[in-house]
Amino acid sequence: MSRARRLPLLLLACAAAAAWLLPYAWMVVTSVKTLPEIVARPTAPLPDHLDGGAYREVFATLPVARYMGITVFMAVAIAGAQIALALPAGYALAKLRFVGKRWAFGVVLACLLVPSQATFVPVFLLFAKTHLINTMTALVLPFAASALGTFLVRQALLSVPDEIIEAARMDGASEWTIVYRVLAPMLKPTLVSLFLVSFVFHYNDYFWPLVMTTDDAVRTLPLGVALLREQGTGVRWHIVMAGNVVLSLPVLALFALVQRHLVRAVSARG
Amino acid sequence: MLARRALLRALAASVAAAALGCGRRERPVRRDGRVVVTFWYAYGDLVRKVLLELVARFNASQSRVLVEAVHQGDYFECLAKLRTAIAAGAAPTLSHVVCEVVPYLARARVLEALDGYDGAGEIPFVPALSQQGAFRGAEREPTFCIPFNRSTPIAFASGRLLDEARVAPPRTWDELLDAARRLTRRGEGGEVRWGFEVPISWWYWVAMVGQAGGALVAPDGALTLGGEAGERALRFWQRLVRDERVMRPPPGRDYQAWQSSNESFLQGRIAMMWSSTAFVRYLEDNARFPVVAAPLPRDVRASVPTGGTMFVLLRGAPDEEKRAAWEFVRWMCDDEQTIAWSTRTGYLPVTRPAVDKLDARGWYAAHPNDRVAYDQLASVDPWPWVPELFRVERDVVEPRLEDAVLTGRDAHAILDEARAEAARPA
Amino acid sequence: MNPRARWHPWAMLGPTLGLLVVFFLVPIGVAGAGSLFSWDLLTPPRFVGGANYAALAAHGELLRVALRTLGYSALVVTGTMTLGLGLALLLDRPGRFFAFVRASVFSAYVVSWVAVALLWMWMLDGNAGVVGQLLRALGAPPVALLGDPDAALPALALVGVWKLTGYAMIVFLAGLQDVPPSLLEAAALDGAGAVARFRYVTLPLLAPTAAFVATTSLVTSFQAFDVVRIMTQGGPARATELFVYAIYEQIFLNLSVGRASALTVVFFVLLLAVAGLQLRVFRTRRGER
Repeated sequence: MSRARRLPLLLLACAAAAAWLLPYAWMVVTSVKTLPEIVARPTAPLPDHLDGGAYREVFATLPVARYMGITVFMAVAIAGAQIALALPAGYALAKLRFVGKRWAFGVVLACLLVPSQATFVPVFLLFAKTHLINTMTALVLPFAASALGTFLVRQALLSVPDEIIEAARMDGASEWTIVYRVLAPMLKPTLVSLFLVSFVFHYNDYFWPLVMTTDDAVRTLPLGVALLREQGTGVRWHIVMAGNVVLSLPVLALFALVQRHLVRAVSARG
Repeated sequence: MLARRALLRALAASVAAAALGCGRRERPVRRDGRVVVTFWYAYGDLVRKVLLELVARFNASQSRVLVEAVHQGDYFECLAKLRTAIAAGAAPTLSHVVCEVVPYLARARVLEALDGYDGAGEIPFVPALSQQGAFRGAEREPTFCIPFNRSTPIAFASGRLLDEARVAPPRTWDELLDAARRLTRRGEGGEVRWGFEVPISWWYWVAMVGQAGGALVAPDGALTLGGEAGERALRFWQRLVRDERVMRPPPGRDYQAWQSSNESFLQGRIAMMWSSTAFVRYLEDNARFPVVAAPLPRDVRASVPTGGTMFVLLRGAPDEEKRAAWEFVRWMCDDEQTIAWSTRTGYLPVTRPAVDKLDARGWYAAHPNDRVAYDQLASVDPWPWVPELFRVERDVVEPRLEDAVLTGRDAHAILDEARAEAARPA
Repeated sequence: MNPRARWHPWAMLGPTLGLLVVFFLVPIGVAGAGSLFSWDLLTPPRFVGGANYAALAAHGELLRVALRTLGYSALVVTGTMTLGLGLALLLDRPGRFFAFVRASVFSAYVVSWVAVALLWMWMLDGNAGVVGQLLRALGAPPVALLGDPDAALPALALVGVWKLTGYAMIVFLAGLQDVPPSLLEAAALDGAGAVARFRYVTLPLLAPTAAFVATTSLVTSFQAFDVVRIMTQGGPARATELFVYAIYEQIFLNLSVGRASALTVVFFVLLLAVAGLQLRVFRTRRGER
C-alpha cells in the first residue's frame, strides 16, 4: 500500500488508541495529584509533582490486601469449580447415550439465557432463609455450574474421536480418569480460555457481591473501591482514581500476559 | 427442601471455615475478653475520621467493650444493607439511621427499646434533637433512638460575593429570589455563576413545605404531602430554575448532589446555597472567602426539619452486645465527646450541658455560623411518627421532585399523583 | 457411546443440572409466586394478587422502564457494532502497531465496570470533568451530562459503547478471517473498488458475525446495572432507571420484595424474547459454518 494511503489509516488508528488509552492516562494522572490541585485546576494535563497521598489514603481506608485476597479466592473458586463440573457434564452430553439427554441439554441451553440479574431476588431470599448471606457459598455456589462452560466443553468434545475413549476404557481407566486425565489435557486450550474468562468476569463482578453480602469480612475489591466514592464533604477524585488504578492494574497485567487466550475465548464464543 | 438446606449449610460451613469464617453469630462475639460491638456507619472523609478517632478513644478508655466500626457507604446504602442484614439474620449490634425511617423500623420490631438501659432517661438532650422532640405523635412510643449526628438545613453564602453585589442574606422567599437574580452572572462563553443552588431533594422540599405553612401529614393522619403548600414549594423551585434561571439544580442523586454543591460553592461558581449545618466546618476551612451562614428564609413562617441520624440498637443482637453498645452510645453523649464531635464536624451538639459549656468557653462568640445553626433549632418542625413516611419519601416523592424541576411538569399534577401513590399500600 | 453404567451420565450431569435448576430455573418460579405478595422482608407477607403489577403499571412507569432499557440497548448495540466493525476493518493489518491498538481497544472489555464507571463519572463531571472542558473549548455551552434528564441516558450508553466496542471488534476480526482473500482478489480483478468489495463481498460474509455481535451485546446491555448504580442511581428524574436497577431499588432500597419480584418476572419475559432471538442466531450461525 502506498505511503499516501497509509497515512490516514495510521492517523485513524492513533485516534482509536487515544480514545481508549487517554482515559487510563487521565485516571493515573488524577491519582497522583493533590486535593488542592484538583480543586484549583481539575483539568491540568500533568500534576505539579507526583504525590502518593491518594494511594496512601486508599491503603489506609481499605484493607486492600484482604479485599484482593477475597476477590481472587472467589474468582479462582468459581472458575475452578466451573471447569471441574463442566468436564463430566460436557462429556455426558457429548459422548454418552442415555434417556433424557435432550432434556438435560435443553436445561443447559435454557440456563445459558438466564442472567443472574434475573434470579437474584429469589436466590437472595433463599440464602437469607438459610443464613448464607455473607458467606463464600453465596458468592461461589450459584456460579459453580456454568451453562456456557458446559456448552463449550460439549462442543469441544464432539470433535474428539470416540476411539480415544474406547481405548482408554480397554486399558481399564475409570470414567473419571477418562474425563479428568485423558480428555481434560486434550481440551487444554478451551479450558484455559474458559478459566480466564470466568476469572476476569468474577474478579470484576460488582453486582453479585453487592447483593449477596453486607459484611466487611466478605467484601470484594470492586465493592471496596466503589465505596471510595462515599458520602464525603467534597471532591475526592484523586482517591477514587487511585482506587481505580489499584483495582484495574492486576487485571490489565493479566490481560497483557494472556491476551492471546482471552481474545481466542471471546472470538470462539460463536 | 430440608435436605437441601442441610446440604447448603454443610457446604457453607466447610467453605466459610476454609475461607473466612463468618456468617450468623448466636453468642456475643468476644476478643481478648472484651465484648465486640459491630457498629455500621455511613460517613466518608472528615466525619469518618473524627468518628474513628472517637471510637479509638473509647476503645482505649476501658477494657470491657471493643467497638468495631464498619463502613457501609452513604446513609441510604447503609440502611439498605442494614435491612438486608436484618432479614438475613446478619445484623450488627449498633448502627445509625436517618430520622424518617425510625418509625418504620420500630413498627417492624427490629429496634431495641432503650428505656430500660442504664441512665437512658437521664441524658439531658437538646429537646428538638431527641426522639421526643424530633417526632410528633411519638409520645407513647418507647425510646428507640438516640441523637447522634444531628443537623438542620441552613443557608450559606459567599461573604465576598454578597459584598460585591451589596446583597444581604435573604430572610424571605421574595428576598431570596431577588438576591439570586442580583448574584447570577452570565459570562461570554455560556459560563454562569449561579445566584443560588440547592439539591432538589426531599429534605429541602420538606423545609419549604413548612415555610409555606403546610405539613406532610394532616391532623387526621392522611399523607397530604403539604397540600397547597407542597405545590407552592415546588412552584418556587420551578420559578427559580426554569423561569428566572437564577438557580442550578446540582447534578447527581442524594449526597452526590450535596457534594457537588459544596464543590461549586468553594470554587465560587455559586453565590448562595442551602446545605446542611454538618458542612459548616468543612466549608469554613476550605473556602478562600468568608462563609456566611444564615437561617433559611421564611415564606409565611420559619420552618426547618431536622436531619442527620440517630443511633439505633438492633433487637436481634445478643443482650450482652446490646449492653456493651449502650455503653458506647452513653459515652458518646458525654459532654466532652459531644463537644468534640460537634465542633470538629459542624453537627449540632445534642446535649444541653455541652451547649452551655461551649457557650461558656466562648465557642459561639468565635464561631457565629455555629450560633446561627443552633439558634435555628427554634423553628424546627418535628417529623410525623408515620411508618409509611420513609417509603413515601424514597419511592414516591424524591423522584417526582426532580421530575417537576427538571422537566417542568405541573406541580399540582405531580403531587396529586404522588398522593395517590402514597395512599397505595406498599 | 453407551455409558458403562446406567447411572453414570446422571452422576456426571447431576451437580451441574442441580445447581443450574436451583439457581436459574427455580428462582424464576419463586419470583412469579413472590410477585403476588406484599412483603418488606421484615414483617409477614400479605397476599395481594396482581396489585404489584398494577402499582408498577400505574402512570406508565413499567412501560417507561422497559422502553428506557430498550433505548439504552439500542444505543449501545448500534454504537458498538458500528465502531467495532469500523475498527476491525481499520486494524485488521499486520504489524506491532496495529496489534497494540487492537489490544488497547480490547483492554476496556477486561477492566471492571466499576473502574470504568468511576472513571467516566469523573471525566463527565459537570464542574471539573475533562469532557466538559473539551466541549467548552470547542465552543459548546457547559452542560452536566449526567445531571440532564435528556443527556444522562445517552451518556451512560457512551460509557457502555466504550466498554464493549473491543468485544465487538474482536469478534468481527475473527469473522474477517473467514472472508477468503481469493474472493476479494477475484472481485478486485473484476474491477470492484474497495467500497464495492466491502459492500458486495465482505459485508454479506460478515452478516452472521454481525447478527451474533448484535444479539450478545443486546443481551449484555439489557442487563446493565453497574453504570447506573455507580454513575446516576437511576436519576436525574428516573431518566436512567434501567430494568435491573429498578429491581434492585425495589428490593433493597424500597424493601418491596413483591414489586421486585413482579419486575423480575416482566424482565424475564422480555429477556426471553431477546434471548429467543439470540438462540435463533446461534443456530443459523452454526448452520452456516
